[in-house]
Amino acid sequence: MGIGGSMERRTILKAAGASAAVLGLGATTGCGGGSGAGDGTVTIRYSWWGAEERAKRINRTIALFEKKYPKIKVKTDFQTYQSFWEKFQTQASGGNPPDVFQNAVTFLRKYDKRGILLDLRPQVDAGHLNLDDFRAGVTEVGEVDGKQLGVPVGSNTMALVIDKKLWRKAGVEPHAGWTWDDFFKALKTIRDRTGVPGDTGYFGIMYLYDLYLRQNGKAFFTEDGLGFDRADLTEWWQDGYNRVRAGIVTDPKAVAQDLPKSSLSAGHGASEFTWDNFTVRYHSEGDSTYGLAPIPTTDGKHTGQYLASLMLSASARTAHPEEVARFIDFMVHDPEVGRIMGYDRGILAGTEQYDAFKPADEINKEIARYEADTAEAGVLGTITPHPSGADTVEAAFLRIGGDLGLGKVKVSDAVKQFFDESQAAFQA
Amino acid sequence: MSATTTPTTTSRAPLTGSGRRRAGSLAWHIGALAVLAVVLYPVLWLVGASFKPSKDIINGLQLFPGRPIFANFKNLADGIADIGIRTFFQNSLVYALGSVAGILLSCSLTAYAFARIRFAGRNTLFALMIGTLLLPYHVLLVPQYVMFQKLQLTNTYVPLLLGKYLATEAFFVFLMVQFMRNLPRELDEAARIDGCGHLRTYWSIVLPLCRPALITSAIFTFINAWNDFMGPLIYLNEPGKYTVSLGLMMFRDSDGVAANYGGMIAMSLVALLPVLLFFLTFQRYLIDGMATSGLKG
Repeated sequence: MGIGGSMERRTILKAAGASAAVLGLGATTGCGGGSGAGDGTVTIRYSWWGAEERAKRINRTIALFEKKYPKIKVKTDFQTYQSFWEKFQTQASGGNPPDVFQNAVTFLRKYDKRGILLDLRPQVDAGHLNLDDFRAGVTEVGEVDGKQLGVPVGSNTMALVIDKKLWRKAGVEPHAGWTWDDFFKALKTIRDRTGVPGDTGYFGIMYLYDLYLRQNGKAFFTEDGLGFDRADLTEWWQDGYNRVRAGIVTDPKAVAQDLPKSSLSAGHGASEFTWDNFTVRYHSEGDSTYGLAPIPTTDGKHTGQYLASLMLSASARTAHPEEVARFIDFMVHDPEVGRIMGYDRGILAGTEQYDAFKPADEINKEIARYEADTAEAGVLGTITPHPSGADTVEAAFLRIGGDLGLGKVKVSDAVKQFFDESQAAFQA
Repeated sequence: MSATTTPTTTSRAPLTGSGRRRAGSLAWHIGALAVLAVVLYPVLWLVGASFKPSKDIINGLQLFPGRPIFANFKNLADGIADIGIRTFFQNSLVYALGSVAGILLSCSLTAYAFARIRFAGRNTLFALMIGTLLLPYHVLLVPQYVMFQKLQLTNTYVPLLLGKYLATEAFFVFLMVQFMRNLPRELDEAARIDGCGHLRTYWSIVLPLCRPALITSAIFTFINAWNDFMGPLIYLNEPGKYTVSLGLMMFRDSDGVAANYGGMIAMSLVALLPVLLFFLTFQRYLIDGMATSGLKG
């Protein structure tokens, strides 16, 4: 073996060169992004989660922005929620997160702890970003330990979505200030008179349990952990499980079979707790008429509600903090942007945008009315803090609650599992 | 693909009357068709659903729509999120064909070395290479990202393709090594006597004989690259560079709020075609190659 070695090596090198040339084709278009060109033009990367519908709207708003700021170019990139965070996590670990991105309160402390989020306060002080002219209380959602880590684009709050036809048929009606006893009695009446379970599975929804805890002087999270004990959760889940067995809450098996549709739209439940701006979904999926109802209370007054929101955050590594701040400012205040975006990411947070956009369709009108009514009722409080790891805890709550409903785990085991997993998530 | 082979009825012993034989054959065919229907049902459902409005897709149980609509395909022709649908397919093709070329060149060359050249540390290196199969993808994800980020190569296809040109896919190297080891060594020796070096032997003798292994690798590589989601997701930052698998996800929102299922299913259907065509084209050569390589040495 080994004759003609040198000739071979040369040919191999040639072959290697050829394949490198093939790769080179791909490389010519490459550029890391976020860098400035010679003429003072700056490019920023903007990532968000959502579908093509949102993409089309955002593209139009960016065209407006680039017209007003010709020296700033914006490159967008979007995925579904799940994929967005997988990508973000990897890029952030690699030191290359997008300059601006959509964010939610659950992730603020998590990424602040890792030093990934830019404190926008200095930009506010420098006059590049205006934090006034927002609807009452929404900017607080983006505050952590005195730092402004996010600026809200839209807000939402929890609501009870009901199948109006079923509720009318059963002869029951929700009303402001009703109690949990009233609510569960109504569910039973619906079940008895229409044969449809009254609710699709309230006990697995973390944000609803948070409201219930807040009504009782607690909260789901504290600054660094859980704000309730095992006995609280055992009671909440045991009651929920009993109600599934009694048939007033939809069997989780049916809920799973109805996916990707909600059991409410499928007619296998008469109401569902969710964010108010998600109501649009039921109208597009189901055939009944749907409406928004107030959250049940413990004391006849307090619902425990608050405004949550989608935000825009910036990367601490961005080379262009000023341009990024101007971009965020434009996106949250420009009235034309508000008219284009509508309630796509929640009820518009900035007052100029809120006033500029008046929904034309009945569904969005009802959402706007619901938030106005909730604000007027004076039940809105400050948002519950979300410690680092809150996103993992939320997913665990949903999953373990689901297993419990399916009868895969006993209540005591489910509670233990949830507390163990939460502990691990907070320490991560 | 499930290729059902029909047995030739004549090969059965013609002991019974022709009527009975026909009944048996009929029963066999009906049985085979029933199995085929079960296997093909999801594809049929996909075809049917692509002509339904989104609401009917998640609500109705019927296989085909009562009144077929073409809005989903029209929707596709208009593009997704202001990007023409052709862009995604072009990107996917570049990625898939680029991968196939890389794997075929680099893995076969590596395999030749392992199978035919005796060099120091060959067995250790071979074991190490097989060992890389044990590394989970997720362990490599972040370090690889950091590396390509430092090289300023993110948002290009280089991170996706480079490894394919460096024979990092141990599975295909292994497949080809095993195949080459079964080729008669006498052929190499005859070539050497005629004055061939290693490269010439590799190119003119071994490679043509390896056609079945090469085609198998090509089909698998094409399908893997076409379906790859994580790689393009992490490395590509502009929707204009997205592949079909990423484009498919653009129809969906996080929580199913007003998802465009119609558009998604129509695109899934169209996305199946290149893979199907690739398979049908090369499957022929696969069988061809198998048949001829067994003939005289």
